[in-house]
Amino acid sequence: MTERKRADKVGVGEEFEPYEYRVTPEFHQQYLGAEEDHHPRYLSESNLGWPIVHPGLLINHSNVTRSPSFYLPIGMAAVHAKEEVEFLSPGRVGKTFRVSWKVIDVYEKRGRSYQVKEALISDEDGVEILRRRITDTYISGGK
Amino acid sequence: MAIITKNTLEGQEFSGSLKTVTEERVYAFSGGFPQDPGFPKKNIHTDLEFAMSCSLPTRAASGAMFEGYLAELMIDLFGESWLSGGKMSLTFTAIVDPGDALIPKAIVQSKQVEESGLKFIMQVWCENQRGEKVVVGTAKGSLKNNTSPK
Repeated sequence: MTERKRADKVGVGEEFEPYEYRVTPEFHQQYLGAEEDHHPRYLSESNLGWPIVHPGLLINHSNVTRSPSFYLPIGMAAVHAKEEVEFLSPGRVGKTFRVSWKVIDVYEKRGRSYQVKEALISDEDGVEILRRRITDTYISGGK
Repeated sequence: MAIITKNTLEGQEFSGSLKTVTEERVYAFSGGFPQDPGFPKKNIHTDLEFAMSCSLPTRAASGAMFEGYLAELMIDLFGESWLSGGKMSLTFTAIVDPGDALIPKAIVQSKQVEESGLKFIMQVWCENQRGEKVVVGTAKGSLKNNTSPK
């Protein structure tokens, strides 16, 4: 495990530690309930012949707060400001997914700092599932 | 089955399902695993005290939650094939508090004929029960030539 650096201090070119997780049917069911979306494509068979992972789960589990190296002190939080997301392939329930993040830009606007990250989500077979460009701002009790 | 067809017109508007962002759903989305000790995890999405300690006025449901609503709408409009090439560009504009109700919406901004088929650019947003937009942006989807939408 890499040494944890405060998330808002991770600079351009640096990466957060990758995160891996498996989407079991039970885990998936939890997210379908949260998203109020029980379409059969997620539960039994999609047109592909297997249940596909709900995109809300894939997006949520590729937020940088999932990284094992993500760290902020108490009283600070990352807030999602902007997003560009490209869906590359459907994810399959039962597979393990790997998420990587790289900081590609940092900037300030109206006194607030922003950090832009590129995230790539692939499955255990190396199939690219999702590519995101995530802009987060960091807030604290001080401002 | 996709809803968008080659005959869909620019300016045509679509709405998804009404979503109620209950506390239980926020916990399921952002609180970790129910079987874990300490569920739900305390964060700006789940815990008022935590959110206020970070200077937020209230809890803020995860943007990924309603980004998922928009993805669901796009899949309904373009079919499952949207998950292989669909794109969204979004800005989060307001806090969604547990208890809010959201509707994802889309309007056809333009459609363009391309070599591979018809490309649609949609304005997309989610609005709450007060008619306020909480996320706005664009989405891209296409209908390919010589293929039936799935």
